[in-house]
Amino acid sequence: MSIKKLDQAALDTWVNKLIANQSVYGVQAKGERFAFGPLSKAEDLRLDYDVTILPPKKYFQPQREDLLEFNAKGEYTSVTETEPFILFGVHPYDVVAIAQMDTIFSADNYDVHYMTRRHNATIVACDVQNASANVFAGCMNTATVTKGFDLLLTKIGEFYLAEAKTPKGEKLLTDLPGGLEPGNLDLARREQVWKDNTGLLRKHKLKCNPQELPGLLEKSYYAPVWEAKAKLCFSCGSCNLVCPTCYCFDVQDDVNWDLQSGKRTRAWDGCLLKDFAAVAGGHNFRSSRTDRYRHRFYRKAKYVAEKLNQIACVGCGRCISACVPKIANPVEVFNELL
Amino acid sequence: MSKPKLAIFDFTCCEGCQLQIVNLEEEILNLISLVNPVEWREAMSEHIGNYDIALIEGSITRPEDEEKLRRIRKRAKILVALGSCASTGGVNKLKNNFDLQEVKHCVYGQAADMPHLHTAPTKAIDEVVQVDYKIYGCPIDRREFAYIVRCLALGKSPEIPDYPVCVECKLQENICRYEYDEICLGPVTRAGCGARCPSCATWCFGCRGHIEEPNLSAAKEIMVRYGKTFQDLKNRMNIFGSKQRYADE
Amino acid sequence: MSNQDIYVPQPATLLKKQPMTEYETFYEFKLDSGCELGHGPGQFLEISVPGIGEAPISISSSPTQAGIFQMVVRRVGNVTTALSKLGPGDKVGVRGPFGTKFPVDEVMKGKDILLVCGGIGLVPVRSAINYILDNRRDYGRLTILYGVKTPADRLFAEELAQWKATPEVTVLETVDRGDEAWDGHVGVITTLLPLVQINPAQTIAVICGPPVMYRFVLKELAKMAMEDESIFVSLERRMKCGVGKCGHCQMNDLYVCQKGPVFKYSEIKEVMEAI
Repeated sequence: MSIKKLDQAALDTWVNKLIANQSVYGVQAKGERFAFGPLSKAEDLRLDYDVTILPPKKYFQPQREDLLEFNAKGEYTSVTETEPFILFGVHPYDVVAIAQMDTIFSADNYDVHYMTRRHNATIVACDVQNASANVFAGCMNTATVTKGFDLLLTKIGEFYLAEAKTPKGEKLLTDLPGGLEPGNLDLARREQVWKDNTGLLRKHKLKCNPQELPGLLEKSYYAPVWEAKAKLCFSCGSCNLVCPTCYCFDVQDDVNWDLQSGKRTRAWDGCLLKDFAAVAGGHNFRSSRTDRYRHRFYRKAKYVAEKLNQIACVGCGRCISACVPKIANPVEVFNELL
Repeated sequence: MSKPKLAIFDFTCCEGCQLQIVNLEEEILNLISLVNPVEWREAMSEHIGNYDIALIEGSITRPEDEEKLRRIRKRAKILVALGSCASTGGVNKLKNNFDLQEVKHCVYGQAADMPHLHTAPTKAIDEVVQVDYKIYGCPIDRREFAYIVRCLALGKSPEIPDYPVCVECKLQENICRYEYDEICLGPVTRAGCGARCPSCATWCFGCRGHIEEPNLSAAKEIMVRYGKTFQDLKNRMNIFGSKQRYADE
Repeated sequence: MSNQDIYVPQPATLLKKQPMTEYETFYEFKLDSGCELGHGPGQFLEISVPGIGEAPISISSSPTQAGIFQMVVRRVGNVTTALSKLGPGDKVGVRGPFGTKFPVDEVMKGKDILLVCGGIGLVPVRSAINYILDNRRDYGRLTILYGVKTPADRLFAEELAQWKATPEVTVLETVDRGDEAWDGHVGVITTLLPLVQINPAQTIAVICGPPVMYRFVLKELAKMAMEDESIFVSLERRMKCGVGKCGHCQMNDLYVCQKGPVFKYSEIKEVMEAI
């Protein structure tokens, strides 16, 4: 696969060319923060962003999506999106999260809605240029990535290196006008960025190896930290909703005005919400705030982790920022359990 | 199948929720194709008949309104509180924080003692009659209203959120108002509005009322962390939360 | 890789419907495809009523009954209420069958069977009962304990009478509160257990009922020297998607829609959120 060196002007020309050919979603400023959104011109792209408010999973599992349509005869048909798109500027920790979600949605009952979008996506990853206030990807081995993307951009000084990882990425590079061949020094500088990022993306420091977390949780079910923290929990689900590896969903029907045809939609849900485990008869199988609060940590570092053989927390720090009472910090909780 | 008969009645309110129904624009034709609007304004005393769905807008502030409401209840198969005033008492309950005489003088001045201006403490609709469903919000959300009407016409009980506004605020990818050093009532307020106020860059006023289990002690405790006081929080909560279930905690 | 959408229900037609109690109704369906459902006793379906939604419902008929499947549904939510308004010929959507089965073809074979059911817990267990009766020689003694709140809540009253009349089948019933016509046992389900004689080494027990019931029944079974490996429980959870994705049915690390609803008790004894 090829690797090119390009300056900002070449990058802009390239991105504008990509936009002319297909849908591109890239990181842009949103107030004082950042968000992925439809990109209309290269100058809006902010590859210097620290973290986006929501993770890019919204392009594979949208906040709300139509699953099925039904007609007046009561026949159900699948609704799937088919348009190819480019996701531009995905940070390494989010690349890892997407790879985890790919496993969840493809293995053991293939989810055609997620996977169709996923196959339509070309992922342009981008190494982190500015660490966010709460990132701890360095502790989770997700500060850099070697797979899970089609093309990787790394900023070295005034230039970018763009390396294709897959044929899809290679194809994007063919649209790149006037890219230079990088020299050994450029490659060495990129190595240095990766090394630095692993150290820099540690705004919170996990005092153990992430591999030890499932074992740590195994013996911590009745630890006092759960109740102590959950006391301040609003059960608002913010930690779930901003998480790149939360994928639970709710499904609802709504009819058209004919009261017969309509849609079945699914929307993001969160295990911190009060009624998440309540059944139709009214019984709530996880009615206590403490149990719901604990469940999230166990999913991230034990339940889903054991399924994926990898911790399902990538250290993006979004939950820490999103939590109004400041109780969602996984590093703080895990360190307290040590 | 005959169309369900729908009636709308208003009590003490600004009628802004009815305006939201009118604002459905093209959708209003769909609504009328689905239900048969039999009453849409006072005049009920002249009419005899039953309603499949009665929408009640406004809160109850006079004893004679209680009587009128009871009569509507008797004729309605399904009775729905429309908007904050009807569902929780809303801003009208601010009045209940004060002495009634004082309130009257403040509003009407010298005319305060005229007999037609007599007033009683504000009640939400369910403090007078049994309410089947509540459409929250000041004003109501048009989309939610349309969804609820479709559900009722279909004989389905609508899914009305019992989770905080934060959920919808996150889905909208808004920046949290607490990052702007504001007290936002989103964490204790019932969603369903699509986080309308935070999406327009202002804090949540709590117009849809509390979720069923609001963590108010947490709300109190975090004020300190954000450099605010309990009184700051109370002041905000008074607007739509006066004399509500948790008002004194 | 498959392009099949796991969320699309297949059509089924309601053949028969009969109220059983004030809240529970019996339904008989057939798949429009003409295929067999292919379920095992203990499994469940996701039933869709267009426009209303989808809900997990356990299958009440035995796979030995060809061509059709049956359910008994309590009217508690939107989908179950909408079902109660359907008539013969009406369509529903079906996904499944999902989940684990009572081990009727495995460890239950050759054993005495003790079934402890509370309320609508009899619904999925009936599938196993009829399967056992249709393959009678493969099993030893069959004991059915059934508890309901009041006599008016009894399900499958006719079948209970038939089972009672079947040789080598014991049926003991109890109600929490009797009425004037009730001359049977009164008391919670656990009060029936001391009335049965079992050989614990030769018995497989199954428990299915309301959440509160399990702990007490398990305690009694332990007193009777039943091994945890010989006890199976069927658990209720919010099985929204049925395919191990949506997360609602999870108890600790287990997705009940996939690893359950039928669990060997020894396998979930340490699962904190299970019982």
